[in-house]
Amino acid sequence: MAAATMEVDSGNDSIQRKQSLYKSLDERFGIQKEMYRGQQYSQIYFARLHLMRTMLYSLIPNWKVHLPVCTVLGLEEGKECIIVGTIYKHMKLKPSILDEYSKERSTTPLVKPHNFVSSDDYLVLEDESGRVKLCGALLLPSVFVTGIVVALHGKETGAGDFMVEDILEAGFPHQIERPLVSGEDKYVVFVSGLSVGGSSSNPLQFQLFIDHITGHLGDEKEQSFAARIVQVVVAGNSVEYPRTLLNGQNLSSKDQSRLSEPIKELDILLTQIAAGIPLDIMPGPDDPANFSLPQQALHRCLFPGSSAFNTFRSCSNPHSFELDNVSFLGTSGQNIDDLEKYSDASDKLGFMERTLRWRHLAPTAPNTLGCYPFTDRDPFFIETCPHVYFVGNQEKYQSRLVKGSEGQVVRLICIPRFVETGTAVVLNMRNLECHTLSFGAEFST
Amino acid sequence: MASSSDMKGFFRQKKKTAGGRGVGKSKANKATSFKKSKNSASVGTDQVQPPALISHGALDLQDDYDSKEEILRQFDMSMAYGPCLGMTRLDRWERAKALGLNPPKDVERLLRAEKVNAQCLWDGCI
Repeated sequence: MAAATMEVDSGNDSIQRKQSLYKSLDERFGIQKEMYRGQQYSQIYFARLHLMRTMLYSLIPNWKVHLPVCTVLGLEEGKECIIVGTIYKHMKLKPSILDEYSKERSTTPLVKPHNFVSSDDYLVLEDESGRVKLCGALLLPSVFVTGIVVALHGKETGAGDFMVEDILEAGFPHQIERPLVSGEDKYVVFVSGLSVGGSSSNPLQFQLFIDHITGHLGDEKEQSFAARIVQVVVAGNSVEYPRTLLNGQNLSSKDQSRLSEPIKELDILLTQIAAGIPLDIMPGPDDPANFSLPQQALHRCLFPGSSAFNTFRSCSNPHSFELDNVSFLGTSGQNIDDLEKYSDASDKLGFMERTLRWRHLAPTAPNTLGCYPFTDRDPFFIETCPHVYFVGNQEKYQSRLVKGSEGQVVRLICIPRFVETGTAVVLNMRNLECHTLSFGAEFST
Repeated sequence: MASSSDMKGFFRQKKKTAGGRGVGKSKANKATSFKKSKNSASVGTDQVQPPALISHGALDLQDDYDSKEEILRQFDMSMAYGPCLGMTRLDRWERAKALGLNPPKDVERLLRAEKVNAQCLWDGCI
């Protein structure tokens, strides 16, 4: 069924909604063709190392020519050289599964610090031949995480460590230039953390949002703006299940129907959007999808109402697509939240920029972030630079335009949780400018 | 890795050709005429095929392996092409090719054309 209404009726003339050409790039995040044959995570690390090492080798001549490149095992004391490998960060405070066996079991969960960084952390570089501990004032362990592939210039010390003199990160990947669109403003609306069905979600707030973007609210000016929205992206955590029902006990039939309420409510709400605007929905950490990245698309049977429309697209997490040749890449937040636990940065956008510079969406996968054990590829490797890079389920809205060394321009967006902030993010595809849409439904007494 | 000479004294030998456990690379390189491999799971037992040791529903008859399997085992154990467990040999070869590691063409020919074991040598053992 095609979208029933693409027009916004303002009484005298109807305003037509703008449309954009959509292309999905999510094929790399599908795991339907993968087969689990008992492989371990060493396979994905091997694939990642080789993929990125080949790429770094091509960048080294531009960085430091005349220096020999050797493997970790080929290091000689005092010989200045370049080594390429995967970083491993040893963290004293990182929780280990073995702690569960050594400590006494208690019913209350162990209170864990939100951030596991300590001043004792140190970095190790590893390739298939061996590993070497890294030292040197240049390398701040708090900035790095396990899983990044870098090239290091330095020399082996007498103690057997590698004294780092300089570091080469992959840098922003190549970006295809954005087409210059003159005149027309077309908007993409991002929202995440709806948490429908949760105790703190206010249905009126989301309903206001829906009514606004579908053009049912406001005067002609508002409706003209709404008619320029060509895509809605829901970036994860769209439902929230009552925690008491999920403790593994048998459910009574009354509880079972309670369990299906949130997703039914979400479907009713999304149908209103899908009836008028193309809608992409991504799974998040709290949604009924698989746990490890890449999360697979939420099944269509969960959305009997919305999936009847061809504007409704259930997508993977991470999600990559193109709209009118503007490329988008985003996640529901797990990759950046995990970086926040194991490294320090001034803000969330700082972590996002680092993942682009490291050319890897989720470097901490599979170390501390659940991930499918791929054998022959690493789908989180960022091959081309997106124009828009978004992350859902963050505490507050933040956005920045960052530039790469070869003229790449990327709009970074942190989408706040709608259930907490009532805020959605609007991006203008013409100039990559961003602003927020906030909805309040509190009645003052 | 212990050489076969250490293993010999360690295990009680019932048959002349039975050796210790472990992959004897050095021995395999020399001759094609060895009768019983050191990988036999029934080493050190009285029965020829104790029921508990029949894995995959097949008898432990992997004692003889020929030169073709030898080439494939060398490919399995080569560190340059990454871990071998959890992948079919052909998948690993294809991965090596895709990553630009130039895996030997002989291995590909054997895996595609001839009747050889598709799984790596550790398959089912670990």
